[in-house]
Parts: sequence; C-alpha cells; structure tokens
Amino acid sequence: MSSASNSLKGFARSDGRWGLRNHVLILPLHSALCATARKIADESNGAVAVSHDWSGEADADFERIIKTISGFAANPNNFATIFITIGTPNELMIIELAKKLGLNKYEVLNVAQLGSMGKIADVGLTLANSLVKEAAAVDRVSAPWSAIALGQECGGSDALSGITANPALGVASDRLVELGSASVLGETTEILGAEHLLAARAITPEIGAQIVEAVARYERSINYEGIDMRGAQPSRGNIEGGLTTLEEKSLGAAKKAGSAQFSGVLDYADQVPKSGLYFMDTPGHDIEQLTGFAAAGINIVVFTTGRGTPTGSAIVPTIKVATNTTMALAIPDLIDLNAGTIADGLKTLDEVGGELFDLILEVANGKETRAEAGLHHEFSLSRMYNTVIR
Amino acid sequence: MSMKGFDHGNRGVGVRDHQLILPSVVCSTRVSSRIAKEMSAVTFAHQHGCGFIGNDVGRITDYFAALANHPNVSSTLIVGLGCETLQGNELADKLLSKNASTNYLVTQESGGVEGTVNLGISAAEELRTKYPSPEVALARLHLGIDISNESTKIEELVVALTEVGVDIAVAAVHKNSGLNFSDLMEAGVHVILSFPDENQPASGFPLIPTINVASNSPLHLALTNDFDLTSTATTTEIIEKIYEVVNGRLTKVEEIGAGEIIAAREVRSV
Repeated sequence: MSSASNSLKGFARSDGRWGLRNHVLILPLHSALCATARKIADESNGAVAVSHDWSGEADADFERIIKTISGFAANPNNFATIFITIGTPNELMIIELAKKLGLNKYEVLNVAQLGSMGKIADVGLTLANSLVKEAAAVDRVSAPWSAIALGQECGGSDALSGITANPALGVASDRLVELGSASVLGETTEILGAEHLLAARAITPEIGAQIVEAVARYERSINYEGIDMRGAQPSRGNIEGGLTTLEEKSLGAAKKAGSAQFSGVLDYADQVPKSGLYFMDTPGHDIEQLTGFAAAGINIVVFTTGRGTPTGSAIVPTIKVATNTTMALAIPDLIDLNAGTIADGLKTLDEVGGELFDLILEVANGKETRAEAGLHHEFSLSRMYNTVIR
Repeated sequence: MSMKGFDHGNRGVGVRDHQLILPSVVCSTRVSSRIAKEMSAVTFAHQHGCGFIGNDVGRITDYFAALANHPNVSSTLIVGLGCETLQGNELADKLLSKNASTNYLVTQESGGVEGTVNLGISAAEELRTKYPSPEVALARLHLGIDISNESTKIEELVVALTEVGVDIAVAAVHKNSGLNFSDLMEAGVHVILSFPDENQPASGFPLIPTINVASNSPLHLALTNDFDLTSTATTTEIIEKIYEVVNGRLTKVEEIGAGEIIAAREVRSV
C-alpha cells in the first residue's frame, strides 16, 4: 500500500514511525511544574513546553489523562522529551506508558531529587539547549507516504466551510490516503446528523456501526447530564457566520474526510495506524481535539476555519485554511491558505485541493506554518467527568 | 501592624497591584501572554471559554468575573477570539457595571494576532494611565487558608489571627490545592496560606500571593527551598510572614513566576 515518495523527507524514528519536526519538548507532569517548564522553553534556543491543570489525581479521568500525556510525549515529531516530575508513581506511570508508545530520546528531571524549582530551571535549560543542538544536527531523509499521519480539524465554521475549505481538505486527504498516508477525521459532536453518511463509507458494516455508536454514545453522555447537546450546536459564532442548523454544520464538517473509505474507528488518543482513513472519537473543542490528535501520533494537521483562529500545537504543525476571502484578508497572519477563492469563482475545488496537498507536503518537509511562527502552543486535557466534586 | 495596600476602586484595596490580561477563551491565551509580557501584567493559560455547555457556561463566566473583580487587580483587559461561546463583550459588560477600569478586544475584529497584540498593549497602557492605583493603608486583611493536608492543625493560628483582626476564609473541600485556591479567589481573599497535601509540591494562584507551609513529608523535606515556611514554623512566625508578604515581600511561588488557575467543570467539552 505504502508507495515511495520522491519528495517527502522526515526524521526516521527507531520504532518505524516518522517525525516531520524534531522538537525538544519540556513536559511537566504536574500543574505546579508548568511555570518552570515554560520558563525553560522561553529561555532556550527553541525547545517547546505545554501547560495543563492535572495535579496527579487518580480520578475517573485518570486513564484518559495519562494516555493523553504519554501519547503526546511519544509523538514522533519529538526528537526528545524532558519530563519534569515530582516523582509520584502516577507520574512515573506516564513515562512507562510513553516508552511503550514509542517514546524517542528522553530525560527525567525529578524536582524532589534536585531540591527546588530553581534548580530544575537551571539544569533543564542546559539540558534543553544541548538537546536542541543535537536535534539540529540530524538531517531529514527520504520518507514513504506512510510517514504522514494527517489530522483533519475545523473550528469557527461558517456558511462556506462545507463548500470551500472542507471539501478542499477532502480532496487533499483522498490523495494522501490513496498514496498510503494515514488521515483522521475527529470532532464527534460535529458530525452529529451526518454520521449515517460516514458510516456508509466504512469498509465493513461493523466499522460503520462503530461510527454511529460513537456519536450516539457522546450524545448519551451529555443527555445524562440533563442537557441537550443540540442546543450548543451550531455555536453562536457559527450562526453569526451564516450556518443555520446542526445538520448543515455537520454535513459541512464531514466534507473534510473526502470520499475515501473508513478503515476503522479510534477512541480518543488511540495510536493511529500507518495508512488509511480513520474516524477518531474526540470533542469538537479545538484544543482538546488537537491535543488528542498529537497524543495519537498524528504529525501534521490541517485546520479549516471560517471565522479565523490563531491556535496551534507545540509539536504538530497546524495548517490554517480560510473558508472565505474576506476573513483571509482581514486577519492574514492566521491563515496559511485561502480556499475562499473557490467561492470567489477564481479557482476550482480540485485546484485548491491540489494547492493544499502541495502545502501539506511543503509543511511536512519543514516549511513553518503561521501558528508555528507565532508560537501558538495550546494544550488541553480532555476530561469526561465532573471536576467540581473532585 | 500597618499594612500597605493599593486602592483599586470598586474592587477594594489590594495587597498587589496587578493588571490582568484575561483571555476569555483558550484560543486567545497566546495573544494575552504576549500583551502581558510586554506590560509586566498577569495572565494565565486555561482551556475554557468554548465548546462547553450547561451550567459550565455560567460557572466559568462567573469565575472569570471574580478574577477580573479581585481586589489585587488594578484593571482588566479581556482578550477574546470572536466566535467563542463565552463572548468577551458580554463578560466586559458584566464587569463594567462594577468596574470602569475594564476593556476588551476581539482578535477576529482587530486584524489578527499582531493587530490584537498592538491594540492590546495600547489598551492596557491606557487603562494604567487612566486608572492609577494610589498606595493606601489596608484596613482589614482577608486571608484564605488552603487545607489540602488533612493533618493540618490551625485552631491556634485562627485564634491568633482573629485577635489581630484578620478575616479568614478556609478552603478544605479538595485535596487539590488548585481547586481550593479557586474557591478562595472567588471569596476575594488578599493572600493565601497554603498547607498542601503531603504528596503535592508548593503551588500558587496567579493574582494572589500564596504562602506555602511544608509538612514533614519526605517530598516536602526534599523541596524545602520551594516552601516559604517549614513544618516547624510557629504561629508567630506564620503571622510575621503573612504581614511581610502583605507589605510587598514576594512569596517563593511569586519569585518563580508560578501559579496556575484550575477551574472546575461539571460537563465534558462538546
């Protein structure tokens, strides 16, 4: 299935996966260590850090949280991960789990052993800079198409999303899947009403049933709280952008996945197989989805947007595609490609889909996205259960 | 004992003079941090403001309003994205009814990231010029005590503090100090005295100086340098430390620049 590519170059990892970036990640394993991690990254020559609000608690979301953090550490775009830990068993479990998921080079800085945050900041900075230097000395090598694991995302959708940027992404995704890459559609809450159409494209009836069940399960979990999920969709921003109904939004959102067949359904942050189109059960919340994608080993994301959003991941390049020219011109420093040219009658869907395919390849090969240039390193842990009563 | 404070108008008298750059949605946390860095203001990362539902919308809106109205805050600049559930202008309207020293910006209407950062810096400077914070005496200290370590004994301390006229709010519902801090913030406390769980490090809240008192657990003994007081600190020493911090001495957590907000949620994101 996986054909050779003449033009794609990446970083070969020892477990057979490929990095499209060579990041040094400073990963705090406790919320109280995040400021120190940020300080190290800010002062370093290019290391990145994320912040989160987990303080080691082993509550109902524990498995989901350690799966997310460990998967994020093990993402193939990381050349090295520096874990900052207070050394509790729950934190060490994350490191062990990350190793099983293909964690590349790593270091552990234990606050209890080093004695203070200040010491961690000093030792961490020296270590980070030395790893950044090491990472910079590694050359890209020719990679097969299966080196690409693409994540599809949309946020701040408008009336043109389903006509321009989303189907253009569908064209690019179809081409990649045909060549042997992996491509993943997420946002369970945003295919509500369109799940039957996606299910019909599954390679087996069982996989189709899993897609339908993922949506039903999500809706049940919200209904259980006595809330109608359909009340929040489309969002106020979507309505201002011209979307009228949930079905209209969902039918448009589903266009991102093109016309390829679905090879499987993944749970949140499950590791993505090498090739094929998949559906992953994620929230629509942009950053929880992006974090789940990164934790799944996805190494590049295309994010379509009607209203415009600056967000990105610390480790996964995120390409922003505008659905309309007005927004693309009004806030140009957020947008990598304008698919509004389709609605303007200037370009065809296939042309823009081709432009996006080429841009994905360029970014995969190292071209910096707007979100990367702006150092947008958003990160969110996705929880399922009430934290008020914790 | 005299206590130095800053007159923050309707917010009250604070013990710190922080300008708050408040991202009303996760998508504007980076823009907020750039503005805050330029202005030496306070901001924080969070994951709220969009993709949420039910009671959480009101809960988080009220939480952000409590942050913006906190007595340690001189003025608040809200930075929104534009298309999110929690609308920055509505939050601003809610705040403006109490405090005029509030402004808001929306990235989608401000020319993108660079435009918003530039406008944000100007808006934050204007707020500072227009609303200075004269130094005044703090008449009455409102102290929050976080008891995440259940073996903590504070009876003697509470009696002594009450005798010197300190108002006390105690948060002991959670074993997670971060959640207790949030409850104390909403109660408007000036300073937090934290007794973290034996297996938790020292931590703090962005706007509120947080004094960490160690237990004699192995972790806390290993991290002595990150705590303001050891487990052997006497009531007198604790009270002396509180007054020092009120009068401007930075806590260990403030020195590091640490402090996260942990806001609880009822329902998963959508």
